[in-house]
Amino acid sequence: MLTDSERERYSRQILLFGEEGQERLKSSKVFIAGAGGLGCPAAAYLAAAGVGHLVIADCDSVDRTNLNRQILHYESDIGRPKVVSAREKLLSMNPDIRVEPLAVIISDNNASTLVSGCDLVVDALDTFTDRYALNRAAIRNRIPYIHGAVSGFDGHMATIIPGETACLECMVPEAPPRSVFPVVGTTPGLIGVLQAHEAIKQITGQGEPLTNQLVLWDGKASQFTMIRVERDPDCPACGGDSRASGRRREI
Amino acid sequence: MRVQVKAFAGFREILGPDIALELPEGSTLTGLLEGLGRRSPGIQKALFDDQGTPLKSVIIMVNKKRQTRAEFVSRELHDGDEVAIYPPVAGG
Ligand SMILES: [Zn+2]
Repeated sequence: MLTDSERERYSRQILLFGEEGQERLKSSKVFIAGAGGLGCPAAAYLAAAGVGHLVIADCDSVDRTNLNRQILHYESDIGRPKVVSAREKLLSMNPDIRVEPLAVIISDNNASTLVSGCDLVVDALDTFTDRYALNRAAIRNRIPYIHGAVSGFDGHMATIIPGETACLECMVPEAPPRSVFPVVGTTPGLIGVLQAHEAIKQITGQGEPLTNQLVLWDGKASQFTMIRVERDPDCPACGGDSRASGRRREI
Repeated sequence: MRVQVKAFAGFREILGPDIALELPEGSTLTGLLEGLGRRSPGIQKALFDDQGTPLKSVIIMVNKKRQTRAEFVSRELHDGDEVAIYPPVAGG
């Protein structure tokens, strides 16, 4: 049940998806992997929208070089753990939600345990090695996974429904070479907000999910391009999944 | 025949955003990629490994549809096709 103050706080979006949709947001637990350039805007919009329980995982501390894009961290946070800094801002924005900070490194060993019990995973990580671990954990636990990545003026995102759609390894089967990436804050700003947007749609059941496609943002041309991607039946992450072997769902 | 190549992210920086290529009839996607590689060592390195195999991490599309590496060899290109190249970004 929503409180009177929640009804007021969310009144503009309750007009869109009703108290039922708002209650779904309130009772959701979303795992946000990363409190950096993508994680900050994604977490901010999910907190503002009233997702009841956010788990934010990041093992880093705030550095001055983060501040051009990681908008939940301020000058006074330099040296503090990112998850502590993020939690503080999110709760001052919306005290009605719960924010669980996890200062951990996500790996194949712990990813499945970390995401277990969550309703949705937001991938706001910065390496594909970590993403592959998280993708497999989401597949194992059958949790929708919203992928995002950026560099410079470019970014992309995709929604993955385990067992039904192409997964991250179907789309990007091999990690791109690692490098220190240049980035202007608006690029992860846009992609992170799109991730939050897809998460809100997914939780409230609004619209069509952005599945089996990669959305590219070309920030120099200021253009979005959609790429269709299909499931790889031989995908090492989701290909052996019986419910997920590319069969059409029967009605 | 004329094929349009649209480059994204790191590739746009090397190739420019949009180029038109004149190719002989019956050219395949592999032929096009190898032709691009011959233009500069930078492009070769961004598209192929040391053995000359196309990098798995680069996403290649023909007319907005992702191509598998098996399709690189078999896919014949036609006049007016649009080939897009996206090396996925990884930052967050
Ligand atoms: Zn897969």
